[in-house]
Amino acid sequence: MIILENIHKSFGSHEVLRGISGTISQGEVVAIVGPSGSGKSTFLRSINLLETPTQGKVFIDRICITEKGIDIEKIRTKVGMVFQQFNLFPHMTALENVIYAPLKVKKILRKDAEALGKSLLEKVGLKDKFNTYPPHLSGGQKQRAAIARALAMAPEAILFDEPTSALDPEMVKEVLNVIKGLAHTGMTMVIVTHEMGFAREVADRVWFLDEGLLVEDSPSKDFFESPRTKRARSFLEKVL
Amino acid sequence: MIILDFERIWPSIPYIIEGVKVTLAYTSVSLCLGFLWGTLLSLFKVSHLNILKWFANFYTSIFRGTPLLLQLMLIYHATPQLTGYTISIWEAGILTFTLNSGAYISEIIRSGITSLDKGQKEAALSLGIPYSLMMKDIILPQAFRNILPSLVNEAIDLLKESALISVIGGADILRRANIVASEKYLYFEPLLVAGFLYYVLVMILTLAAHRLEKKLKTA
Repeated sequence: MIILENIHKSFGSHEVLRGISGTISQGEVVAIVGPSGSGKSTFLRSINLLETPTQGKVFIDRICITEKGIDIEKIRTKVGMVFQQFNLFPHMTALENVIYAPLKVKKILRKDAEALGKSLLEKVGLKDKFNTYPPHLSGGQKQRAAIARALAMAPEAILFDEPTSALDPEMVKEVLNVIKGLAHTGMTMVIVTHEMGFAREVADRVWFLDEGLLVEDSPSKDFFESPRTKRARSFLEKVL
Repeated sequence: MIILDFERIWPSIPYIIEGVKVTLAYTSVSLCLGFLWGTLLSLFKVSHLNILKWFANFYTSIFRGTPLLLQLMLIYHATPQLTGYTISIWEAGILTFTLNSGAYISEIIRSGITSLDKGQKEAALSLGIPYSLMMKDIILPQAFRNILPSLVNEAIDLLKESALISVIGGADILRRANIVASEKYLYFEPLLVAGFLYYVLVMILTLAAHRLEKKLKTA
């Protein structure tokens, strides 16, 4: 379970997040939507402290991770992340990318790591790409490998930061399908996305952010059918 | 009219060529040690500890801001005076060239690290990979790959600068050419031979650098 309390974040004098609170329960899929510059990505990155909030608290499994002296590395193994730009390690094969952290951080046996890595890559449809280096993968393949890499640590939750925004249109679907598949396994997921159809289909709840505030927090059906706020309505009119 | 008389120094040419080994020994050993030292300094420079950062930057400014010849003479002459230890020419040379090239190499590696996409670091962080492992397995291998051509250039610089060792008596190419010169009272010819040897060595390294660059581009 992830609890966020009054998250503020400023870059210099510019306040990107202006006090956001919310709770994400085990197994829940939350889509974060909103206009660009609304602070969606910064907010997502605050959950695993890739951005340190200037104010506010983040709890993961009831542990306050914004407290000083917390073992953030250990917490981060519980919360996977998938990036817009994939961020695969280009000097490692797809399989090495997936098994590096289980092998070196969790220190599981190499043969177990390889078995795990292969099964995960198979699961995301990259059975024939185990030994391929990322520069030789397509965008969609890279992102699927990156999802496998995040899954390899058996995290309790995965954060997706615009996972399809850097993809060519014909590759969006293959990545979204993998994420949809994950949603059915009961994985807790927080997804920043511009794909409204996808958010509607896969998310239990939608958080609508605007100008650094959580303007609306609704079940996804309600959000898309009858948004409560004027700002959400006008946003949906523009994007749908 | 000046006539070049290579015949008179002909028997001494193998003696000068022997110096290639000495020059290469100074260059390669200092380069390896300088690479290790430079890697450590570069890690200091990108660390979050201000004291390490300050030290590495100050160190670099000293070794880049003073003549190499001065550094060599200081180490060779001042070490016995300060510590009572009689430092050999070889030790003084290796120590000076290592300390000096470490400063330059640390700058090369630092720029290699900072030019990497910050997504690499974030991906490592998000997987809970500790800083030391991230540097060793994720960041440095990529940085080294990107800076290989610059490192070869540093090797070329060091190869030429190693000629300074002849000033304190190291029997490298230049020193041997000078010895031959004073024996035969002929200066131009042995120095030309020395220059030619340096040139050939540098050309070999340059060629290797070009090949490497090409290979890296296609890989």
